[in-house]
Amino acid sequence: MTITPPPSSDATRLVTPAMLVLWLVLATVPLWIAKVGLYPYLGIEILIWSLYALAFNLVLGTAGLPSFGHGAYFGIGAYAFGLCQFNVVANLWVCLVAAFAVAGLAGALVALFISHRRGIYYAFMTIAFGQIFWTLAIKSHGITGGEDGLLKIARLPADFGVASFNLNDNVAFYYFVLVLFALAVMAMWRLTHSPYGRVVAAIKQSETRAAHLGYNVWIYKASIFTLSAAISGLAGGLFAMAQLAAFPDVMSLHQSGYVVMMTLVGGGLVSFWGPVVGVFVFLIARDVIGALTNAWMLYFGLLFIAIVLFRPEGIAGAVSAAFQKHSLIRRQGNSAMRLLFGGERWR
Amino acid sequence: MFDLLPHLLNGLTLGLLFALIALGFMLIVGLMEQINLAHGSLFALGAYFAMQLMGSRPPFPAELVKVWFAMPLGWRYAATLVIAPAAVGLVGIAIEFCMRRTYGKDPLYGLLLTFGAAMVIEETIRLVWGTRDYVLQVPQAVSGGFLFGDLIWSTYRFYAAGISVAIIGVVWLVIEKTSFGATVKAGAHDSEIVRALGINLTRLRLLVFVLGTVLAAIAGIIVAPIWGIRPHMGVDAVIPAFLVIVLGGVGSFWGAVVAGLLVGLCVGLSGAYASEWSLLSMYILLVAVVTFRARGLWGKKSVLEA
Repeated sequence: MTITPPPSSDATRLVTPAMLVLWLVLATVPLWIAKVGLYPYLGIEILIWSLYALAFNLVLGTAGLPSFGHGAYFGIGAYAFGLCQFNVVANLWVCLVAAFAVAGLAGALVALFISHRRGIYYAFMTIAFGQIFWTLAIKSHGITGGEDGLLKIARLPADFGVASFNLNDNVAFYYFVLVLFALAVMAMWRLTHSPYGRVVAAIKQSETRAAHLGYNVWIYKASIFTLSAAISGLAGGLFAMAQLAAFPDVMSLHQSGYVVMMTLVGGGLVSFWGPVVGVFVFLIARDVIGALTNAWMLYFGLLFIAIVLFRPEGIAGAVSAAFQKHSLIRRQGNSAMRLLFGGERWR
Repeated sequence: MFDLLPHLLNGLTLGLLFALIALGFMLIVGLMEQINLAHGSLFALGAYFAMQLMGSRPPFPAELVKVWFAMPLGWRYAATLVIAPAAVGLVGIAIEFCMRRTYGKDPLYGLLLTFGAAMVIEETIRLVWGTRDYVLQVPQAVSGGFLFGDLIWSTYRFYAAGISVAIIGVVWLVIEKTSFGATVKAGAHDSEIVRALGINLTRLRLLVFVLGTVLAAIAGIIVAPIWGIRPHMGVDAVIPAFLVIVLGGVGSFWGAVVAGLLVGLCVGLSGAYASEWSLLSMYILLVAVVTFRARGLWGKKSVLEA
């Protein structure tokens, strides 16, 4: 009989060492990013897309549900942020909540229709709804500005009551996004390691088995999709602030495909941090290879094919496999020591 | 009622084209249980190859170009209908060789692999031909229009619809009435037994995949004069193809044909009343059907649902 190792202690933590290291590194980015030939705006883009990809991975990686129309919720969040600012109230917090809530609502609506489907039918229903929202965004000139997009969205000041911060500067906005990113990452980490997250992971392994164990699979599938859509919407709202506009482009099938690619290239199927790795690789490759040749998507496509064929677990998976070999050796070494010297004393 | 007739006919011809576009996709999904997202790009590639062959600078050595231009336009068109799909078939072989590694795994891998392939092909098209629109020349006999009942009808649409019917018929005959079709279907049903009977399943799968890509290319050539040739045409084709298959039900030949016609009618008729929103109608049709019927109209159980 094999004894499964206890879940790593990180799973129970609110903030893990990996998170702290990542945040510290990210916090220093504005200090050196200009010196390595990149620009602060790229940092903002990476953070927003990381948030989006992590949210997407709740559906793809955690729940194992193939959603290929996720750009819709990102875009809806962006439009909701802009429209709330123009028509309701120009307050940052209200507008961000609107982006979160409206995208979540759209996600819940879609989840009603798709949560009892599986596999290819699930995948195509998400594409179909993605296309419906995309068409609506393009054709509703009066509301969304059609193909021209919703322009002149302002970066509203972050008002904390006692102090108000102006976010018009890219560095200030970067830190604002970083704080939101950190909070969202903590929430998602807790969620995937909670009892709820474990049931969702069980559904990924076998929907039938989870149902026979007495879990209401439909509710879990619908709720994780809704939540993922809502957080994608929040990322979309931030993106509208970053771009100072909202465009239907992010809702297209191509852009929905990019987030799938980022997540998989990074290793979202095996690792919580996979999507973030993927976003880094994708956006930096876009800027570095894109500076050399117009056809950077061609090379990224080839890389993607190679990863699907040879390293389906993605970059994070390959790295952790390399580490695992190491720690396995270490563990074997440890247990040998224990046998020799008897018991826990030597640890 | 008579006002509606042109839109009905238009929808029907459009539906036949959708069925034709979905045909190659359906073969691969039905007989190999693999989703070929590169279908649209292969469709576009077929159109681009044909455009190059029919254009002023065909990719031949100098002596052959003379012989080529000595032939009448109709002959050149007929030859193009054979050469361009064959060239696309070669690309299909390359994709199938990569795809082999994913057989037996989660179908998601095949889908992602072909998504990557689609991206590579589309970027290559942009690199070679640029982003501008092209027009495919067609012989005089099938171009132009004619008058009927006070209306001008495009000859090419009827020619394209006729070709679609013919190709759908031939593919049906091959799958249902030949031993090749029977073996392929058996291979999809139970690959282990088919192997045990001494049939080279690897080669069989390659053949099916190449047939699927060739059909994609033919569809591209037939549809190109109506939709125009541009890099984005691949995406414009693969989504309806996928939609038609899901609507008709995976694994059902006539399901796909009927779904193609339904989608065509839906787009054609809604185009008559609200042309802005006509593309939306097919997604709404799909959602309406799949919400109530789990496997589309006549779908069978398959591994793609797991």
